[in-house]
Amino acid sequence: MVLRPSAQIRATIQRTVPPLLVLLAAAIIVLGKADQAIFVSLRTTVTDDAAPALDALSRPIGAVAALFDRVRGIVAMYQDNLRLERENERLLQWQQTALKLSADNRELRSLLKVVPETVVSYVTARVIANSAGGYVRTVMVNAGTDQGLARGQAAITGAGLAGRLTEVGSRAGRVLLITDLNSRIPVVIERSHVNAVLAGDNSERPRLLYARAADAIKIGDRIVTSGEGGVFPPGLAVGVVAALDGHEPRVEPYVELSQLGSVLIVDYGLSGALPQPLTAAKRPSRHKKPAIADEASVR
Amino acid sequence: MALQVSRIPSLPPVNSGLARMLPMATTVLAAVIAILPLRVPGYAVLTPAFTLMAVYHWTIYRPDLLPPVGLFGLGLAQDLLAGAPVGVSALTLLLARAAVLRYRRHFINRTFPFVWTGFTLLGAAAMLGLWALHCVIDLSLFDLRNTVFRTVLTIAMFPAASFVLGRTQRALMGAAG
Repeated sequence: MVLRPSAQIRATIQRTVPPLLVLLAAAIIVLGKADQAIFVSLRTTVTDDAAPALDALSRPIGAVAALFDRVRGIVAMYQDNLRLERENERLLQWQQTALKLSADNRELRSLLKVVPETVVSYVTARVIANSAGGYVRTVMVNAGTDQGLARGQAAITGAGLAGRLTEVGSRAGRVLLITDLNSRIPVVIERSHVNAVLAGDNSERPRLLYARAADAIKIGDRIVTSGEGGVFPPGLAVGVVAALDGHEPRVEPYVELSQLGSVLIVDYGLSGALPQPLTAAKRPSRHKKPAIADEASVR
Repeated sequence: MALQVSRIPSLPPVNSGLARMLPMATTVLAAVIAILPLRVPGYAVLTPAFTLMAVYHWTIYRPDLLPPVGLFGLGLAQDLLAGAPVGVSALTLLLARAAVLRYRRHFINRTFPFVWTGFTLLGAAAMLGLWALHCVIDLSLFDLRNTVFRTVLTIAMFPAASFVLGRTQRALMGAAG
């Protein structure tokens, strides 16, 4: 027998349910704010479940983008050819320089008995979802623990650092971009060797914080990872100083973050440095200051 | 006040199961479209609020087929997928529904410019509310410019969304819609 609630009961439900849901949503926001770790596993599950569908849906977009690139390429062929010829000439000179430096380097390394750098492994992952709205700067990628990914690994493109993996499910992962409010990357100004922290604030250009000699920073300075905190290896290209807003210079990332099609998730063998988020019960002390590398923990 | 609940009016019944699912299905689709990674510079930040358009449309024409529980679930899923603070979308969608339901009778059987004006008000209020909510949650003052651009884009995209939704509605629900 199908239970049919009377009109009166239905009216009561209609009246009471929406406000209750509004209150519940508000309560969830407060709860999530109070303990950020609370929704991590739910988020990973939902992301994992939705990944195949999003993966399939985002494929045509890649095809369309490729088509546009081709059309643009045909239109600009003549100009591109001229530019590439010039560039090729310049690069051939650089190649000579690089070969010489590489030989020098090998020789000096053997003299100093330098331990070779650890072998890195790459996984190419496609971006399958964005976060709409600009209050969060993350992307979802179609690879997870099944492909050998782990929290803390760096997401890079040919141009430089894009972000890091903060949540990893079995077949999808979330990359916290370097522009996100929660992103903190230990960096160094290449020219002056001044250490700083690159802090995202949801704008296109993250800020440089805690630079010891802020006066020494100039527009056009190259910013690379410093390797402090042990999350990223030193020397990964991040961006260039694009503006000096008083004591908070702004950095233009090398990676075009709004047009990420795919990223390389790189395992430098360092990912153990990013600890799992603590739940409220396990949290040791409220007053203990987290290390820089931990701050970009969870969303 | 938005929390005050308006009664859902009795509308002509829709017999086809497919048509009954249409409002929820298109709203879910709108949420998915919003997080697809279009490779347009700056798009992620300025993505129009497609879900809000669907909620506005269906709350005006078929509020009986867009249950608040469904919106709540969809809002949660949207936040979980987008990596946003959980609950924000659910709250926004539910409040938008409540607000539209309250003034629904003013928009029913009216010309499109009137309906669009209604959406303009709702869109602006929702975007501003969302901005304020995120500022409070993250304890920082976000640049209002992106919100303004996003609002304008959302309002500008509404006619297209309304056209598509209206057409599907008529095709599947016929006179009952």
